[in-house]
Amino acid sequence: MPDLYIFKTQVGMFDPVALQNHNVCIHYVQKSYYRKVDFLEAIPPFQCINLGALPALTPSGRANIVNLEMADNEFGLWRWYPIDDAQIRLYHPAGIAKYQLRNLQIPVDMNILFRDPNLVSTEIAVWENNRPAVEAVNGHAFGLGGVRLISLGYRFHTANLESGAEADPELVKALKAGKEPCTHVWCSGRGIGD
Amino acid sequence: MLLANKEGIVVTGPVVNLIAAGVANAVVVFTIPVLVGQLVGVKSVKILKVHLFNNAAGNTSVLIGTGVGGAFVALLPAIVSMNGLEDIYDNLPEVESFVNITAYPVALVAAGIISLQLEVAIIG
Repeated sequence: MPDLYIFKTQVGMFDPVALQNHNVCIHYVQKSYYRKVDFLEAIPPFQCINLGALPALTPSGRANIVNLEMADNEFGLWRWYPIDDAQIRLYHPAGIAKYQLRNLQIPVDMNILFRDPNLVSTEIAVWENNRPAVEAVNGHAFGLGGVRLISLGYRFHTANLESGAEADPELVKALKAGKEPCTHVWCSGRGIGD
Repeated sequence: MLLANKEGIVVTGPVVNLIAAGVANAVVVFTIPVLVGQLVGVKSVKILKVHLFNNAAGNTSVLIGTGVGGAFVALLPAIVSMNGLEDIYDNLPEVESFVNITAYPVALVAAGIISLQLEVAIIG
C-alpha cells in the first residue's frame, strides 16, 4: 500500500495523491471511475481567478473557476487561498456547497495562512471540466479593488481501467473488492443528506 | 500582520519629476504591470516607501493617489516636501491600488521641481 492519501501533508510540503501507475478511484458526486495514473506533474502557485472589484458590505455572485478545469482523462489536485481580504465560499460543482456542515458553510479567508499554513483543509480535486465555483463576501466598510485566489497543486493524467484500450476488468474487480491498493479521490462536494 | 500581506515583489518605480502643481497636472508615478494575454493574474501594488527631493520648489505638500483632475482619488494624506530637502517616508499605511498611481504637488515655486520615487510591493 503506497504511503499516500488525500490530504497528506508535511511541513511546507504538498504531496501528490498518487504516483505513476497507481490506481485511483475518481468520485464525482455519486459516480465512481476506476483509473490508473500514467502521468503527473506539479502545478506551481498561480492566480486562478479574480472575482473583480467588490463594494463594501457586499457578497459577489457565484463565478466558475474555469482555470481549474482539467483536460479529458485528467484530474487536478488543488489547494488554494485568497490574497484579498474577503471571505470565500467554495462550491464544487457550482450547485453543491463545499466545506458544508449541517448548519454552516465554512468560508476561507486570508487567515487560512496562519491557521493552516499548508492549506491542507482547502484541498480539493477537479475531475476533467467539472470545475468548482466561488462566491466572495466583503465585510469591510470599503470596497475591494479585486478578490484574487491563488491555487497550487498537481495535474494527473489517467488511463481508463473500465473500458477502452487500457481496460482491465480483473483489476477493477479486485479494486472494488479492496484486494488491490487504490487511492480514492473525491472530485466534488456532496449535498447534505445526499 | 497577515502572512498574505507579506506577499509581493518589492520594486521601485522610476524617478518622476513633478513640474506642475495642481490636481489637473497629476502624473503617473507607478504603472501597474499589464501584458494582456501573457501575464497571468491581475496585479495590484502596495506603497511601501516614498522618496521626495525638493529642488527649489518651496515648502509644499504632495498628494499621491489615482487618476487625474476630477477623477483623482488620494491614497494617502498629503505628505510634506520642504524646500531644498530630501524627504523619505516609509512605514506608511500599506494602501493598495489596482490602477496606476499618480501624484502632484499642491504648489510649486516657479521653476522648482519635486522629484518623486516610489517603492512598492506588487501583489498578485
